Amino acid sequence: MSDELVQIETPFAFNEENQREFDELIGRYPIKEAAMLPTLHLAQRQEGYITPAVMKYVAEQLEVTVMKVKDVVTFYPMFFEEPVGEYVIRVCHTLPCALRDCKVVLEHLKAKLDTDIASETNLAKGTTDDGKFTLMKVECLASCDVAPVIMINDDLYKNLTPEKVDEILDNL
Amino acid sequence: MVEERRILYEHLDVPDINTFDVFRQYDGYKRFEKAIAEYQPEDIAKMVMDSGLKGRGGAGFSTGLKWSFVPRDIKPCYLCCNADESEPGTFSNRYVLEKNPHLLIEGILICCYAMGIETTYVYIRGEFTLGKKMLDAAIKEAYEKGYLGKDVRGTGLNIDIYTHPGAGAYICGEETGLIESLEGKRGQPRNKPPFPAVEGVFSKPTVVQNVETLCNLPFIVGNGVEWYTKMGPTYADTRNDPPTPDPNTGTKLYCISGDVNEPGVYELDLGLTCSELIEVAGGLRGEEVKAVIPGGSSAPILTHYELDTRLDFTSLTLAKSMLGSGGIIVMNETRNIVDCLLNIMKFYAHESCGQCTPCRWGTPWVRDIVQRIADGDGRQDTITRPKFGVTESGRWGDTGETEEIYEDLDLLESVANNIANVDTMTWNTICVFGIAVSWPAVSYMRKFRPEFEAAIREGKLVTLPVAEATVPPEENYAYQQRFIPKEFADL
Ligand SMILES: Cc1cc2nc3c(=O)[nH]c(=O)nc-3n(C[C@H](O)[C@H](O)[C@H](O)COP(=O)(O)O)c2cc1C
Ligand code: SF4
Ligand code: FES
Repeated sequence: MSDELVQIETPFAFNEENQREFDELIGRYPIKEAAMLPTLHLAQRQEGYITPAVMKYVAEQLEVTVMKVKDVVTFYPMFFEEPVGEYVIRVCHTLPCALRDCKVVLEHLKAKLDTDIASETNLAKGTTDDGKFTLMKVECLASCDVAPVIMINDDLYKNLTPEKVDEILDNL
Repeated sequence: MVEERRILYEHLDVPDINTFDVFRQYDGYKRFEKAIAEYQPEDIAKMVMDSGLKGRGGAGFSTGLKWSFVPRDIKPCYLCCNADESEPGTFSNRYVLEKNPHLLIEGILICCYAMGIETTYVYIRGEFTLGKKMLDAAIKEAYEKGYLGKDVRGTGLNIDIYTHPGAGAYICGEETGLIESLEGKRGQPRNKPPFPAVEGVFSKPTVVQNVETLCNLPFIVGNGVEWYTKMGPTYADTRNDPPTPDPNTGTKLYCISGDVNEPGVYELDLGLTCSELIEVAGGLRGEEVKAVIPGGSSAPILTHYELDTRLDFTSLTLAKSMLGSGGIIVMNETRNIVDCLLNIMKFYAHESCGQCTPCRWGTPWVRDIVQRIADGDGRQDTITRPKFGVTESGRWGDTGETEEIYEDLDLLESVANNIANVDTMTWNTICVFGIAVSWPAVSYMRKFRPEFEAAIREGKLVTLPVAEATVPPEENYAYQQRFIPKEFADL
């Protein structure tokens, strides 16, 4: 993807608050490129997902090619290239959680939200029609002592049962 | 029963210990002050070497020794604190970050002083939003109180700490993957050498250290080496003449999960046995232990025959497994090992960074074989073939017996061993992720072979009783995998 090939509809720019945070970030590293991950996190928080416009903007800010940004975005599971729901629900399904019946929680969520599980290349598959939730499976969230666990956006929920899941979703 | 000995976790549950003032009441930063007042940087490095502290992140490499590889004349030198904690079954760093972040800062300060480091990056996994928030707040406070920044407490030291968020990739926990990721690239590990200690982040010498390792430093400085070395066993390494001490000193934050009644983090002296730990964690949930993973999902599995194995670096190495990150996962008699392996292989197939062909293709291949077996489509060859082994004349050859071939099990072992060979401990990959894949694959299959065979034979998952599912140690080469010098094994 060379710079000319990117079709940008509406250009992206940091809002004032994020610009301030970005200016602070960039001073932390001897090379600008090193600020890539925190910058992308910041941009994703503002825009919801990483659009071509975001990539172009980040590339300009960090003085690297758009290709390089794309390279990084595709590597890390936490960066989305498609729109996601207002609430992103991450269900841990690695061994310790599996030993504590994370499957039940996952199936319950699937039925309740009436959606499939998103895959990394198809987020729409796991997003509800009203665009409110995106359901995805993730690997160990480093909370196996309180398994099974899920994360909804930035918050962790522990020792889950279908009833607890209902309660959490009702209170969102 | 073994008693917990809380040192790193002692004040974890004190209300507001995450604030500077409360932390200060519990000796906070006094150990750092002691370090700068009473010792030269070289003295601290020597103390760490003498304490026998081994890295808690996975490799178990001597921290003092690692520091001694760092060239002192190349500046700047960086410290990267590894808070990526993604090894399945591990969750001790999270609590330090969320509840007692000042302890980590104090550890970092001591390391920076000892190594002449001015800049530290704490690489926190992206999902630790709360941990990052708490640490950021603590760092801000430390700047305000003059423990970070220019001219720390009037000593002339300049020390900065920055947090750096990851973005959900397990491989960024590997030290060179972490460095690449920190430089703003894909987290793909580098070839070693050069080791990070010589050429790391931004091509400068870099010390990569786990959160728990750094948190040990204030206590080594505060209470002295002698106090520290009293905890945990010290063995003799008889490979050397005269034998050299092989320390497994200090406490370990054991993370125990799975089928126990009270999963959680228990801080105990290194060297207790597997069954003792299960007892400390409220006992087994279920009737019988079927298997225990001793060091995060990458570690070879232990069977019920091996429950008296001591959980320390040396003993687990001799048991052909590893302490790794200290994440212990217990499985009871209701668990199916094929199913557990499938879960773990899905994890590795998802997390391979894709640089090396054996790992990129081999890992999903292993996953597919296990998936096939679990689905009941495992391949069994009905043709019998000559069985090789030690013949009557005492030589290796055709024993005259025949054996059934489970084609998929042979294939599984051969694919896994082509990523990394667990018998010779050689790997065909850039990083040791390759071993982390083939270790579980081969060890589960060899030690619980009857369960794999049953699944193929019956065309569905069959959970056998523990005694039937496990291959006894004396009968199988499963327990002999991994080359270990003979003298060392006699220890
Ligand atoms: C695949 C892989 C994943 C790793 N993940 C982590 C991790 O999540 N956290 C960690 O501290 N070390 C991890 N390590 C170990 C690091 O490479 C490194 O040995 C460690 O951070 C060094 O610190 P220590 O000496 O204090 O243990 C991992 C290693 C490998 C090969
Ligand atoms: S062994 Fe696997 S994870 Fe490690 S560098 Fe190679 S492809 Fe990447
Ligand atoms: S396996 Fe789910 S948190 Fe570790």
